[in-house]
Amino acid sequence: MRSCYLTGVCTPSPWLFSPPFYVSYLFIWVTNLFLLVQREEKQLEASLDALLSQVADLKNSLGSFICKLENEYGRLTWPSVLDSFALLSGQLNTLNKVLKHEKTPLFRNQVIIPLVLSPDRDEDLMRQTEGRVPVFSHEVVPDHLRTKPDPEVEEQEKQLTTDAARIGADAAQKQIQSLNKMCSNLLEKISKEERESESGGLRPNKQTFNPTDTNALVAAVAFGKGLSNWRPSGSSGPGQPGQPGAGTILAGTSGLQQVQMAGAPSQQQPMLSGVQMAQAGQPGKMPSGIKTNIKSASMHPYQRPSCPVFILAIPLRCKVKKLLGQEEKKNARLQL
Amino acid sequence: MEAPPVTMMPVTGGTINMMEYLLQGSVLDHSLESLIHRLRGLCDNMEPETFLDHEMVFLLKGQQASPFVLRARRSMDRAGAPWHLRYLGQPEMGDKNRHALVRNCVDIATSENLTDFLMEMGFRMDHEFVAKGHLFRKGIMKIMVYKVFRILVPGNTDSTEALSLSYLVELSVVAPAGQDVVSDDMKNFAEQLKPLVHLEKIDPKRLM
Repeated sequence: MRSCYLTGVCTPSPWLFSPPFYVSYLFIWVTNLFLLVQREEKQLEASLDALLSQVADLKNSLGSFICKLENEYGRLTWPSVLDSFALLSGQLNTLNKVLKHEKTPLFRNQVIIPLVLSPDRDEDLMRQTEGRVPVFSHEVVPDHLRTKPDPEVEEQEKQLTTDAARIGADAAQKQIQSLNKMCSNLLEKISKEERESESGGLRPNKQTFNPTDTNALVAAVAFGKGLSNWRPSGSSGPGQPGQPGAGTILAGTSGLQQVQMAGAPSQQQPMLSGVQMAQAGQPGKMPSGIKTNIKSASMHPYQRPSCPVFILAIPLRCKVKKLLGQEEKKNARLQL
Repeated sequence: MEAPPVTMMPVTGGTINMMEYLLQGSVLDHSLESLIHRLRGLCDNMEPETFLDHEMVFLLKGQQASPFVLRARRSMDRAGAPWHLRYLGQPEMGDKNRHALVRNCVDIATSENLTDFLMEMGFRMDHEFVAKGHLFRKGIMKIMVYKVFRILVPGNTDSTEALSLSYLVELSVVAPAGQDVVSDDMKNFAEQLKPLVHLEKIDPKRLM
């Protein structure tokens, strides 16, 4: 376009509308359209294939469910029926997802028109529908190519929509709220009933886990509660997980626990591998015997004569100290 | 005045801050079979894997208040497997929306002279236990169902006794810092194990 810089007005030059240029424009536009149409066709085909496979899966699971209901009627259990329902619901979900996928074209825009109706058997059709539709005739077509519901159903639906529109938005909202409230009340009643019947001992074997055990195990793995090797042999038996520290506190030599001054004699137990005592929990209460233990145990291994392992350990020790320093800083700041 | 959470700390030293997301629960012995069956259905299809590990926890008591903890783990049933050294930081609490326990985690494999090395460095063993159980995997999630055994004679892994009548169930993911969407996936998976097991985030400090 010849634009006039001076006046700022764009006036199309007569050259642009000359026949050769116009034809080339038209040509480009037509090719673009063609490519677009081709691409849409490919998309349509791909999405139809996906839909077909999903529907086939759904059909198979429905078929197997029906078989199960018919044949194993006597031995069927509720969980097994629930499993089948869950499978069907999952497949319907994936079907919905496929339909909603951005690459699927709007099927609403496609129209299926029967071109030829004949009362003769059609072998091709038989094969494709697995023997269900032998003839593409006047009785089959209205059912299979239906896009609107039955006239009676359509009437009912129209009736319902006019009723709904007549009520008005506020009243409709109130009705929705009351329905929700009734549903939640019902749910509460059911759960209360279930709980009461459980406590009545109707299902004695239902307990599959013990929260006290959970806490004991987590404590054992996290900081060694209950794993101390220096417990006097008779104090707590093997199958008692949930004593919240009654046995362990008496032994009390695990390094990460706070030392409770419950039983004085047990704390004088010799430390087999020099376990360090607990940290600044109760410094003032520690008896002197334990303090000397700390002093002896904190003697630096660097005082020992050189050994090859520790030479390699020097740079790593610095890194550990740095990490330790960082962690301490973090802890200190968190405690502020 | 608080230290910024580890998830916001910059990457230093060329390594990525890996965090461990953890959910724990337990199951009684008599319900173990049903849990294993359910896990076999839910998790990735692989041969059921059992493990027998001996874990030792080492402490380094510095001048500061809290000791530095390192966990050394060796496999008792797989000959030739490397030892495993792990550092676990303090769990980051405070975010109620995060469904899993999050803590800093550094893992390395080491050779067999790990205990000697740690002793030379000044670490002392605090406690040890034997873990025996099953391992399952689903994507990046790792599910371990194991029984904790107390070692009666220190150093002798043959004399053990079970700590309780339950198996500990742990669902863990090791992921780079900042990916909280992982905890949502873990929560969804944990929902599928109810009512057999209730996996939840348990703060170990509460149990001290």
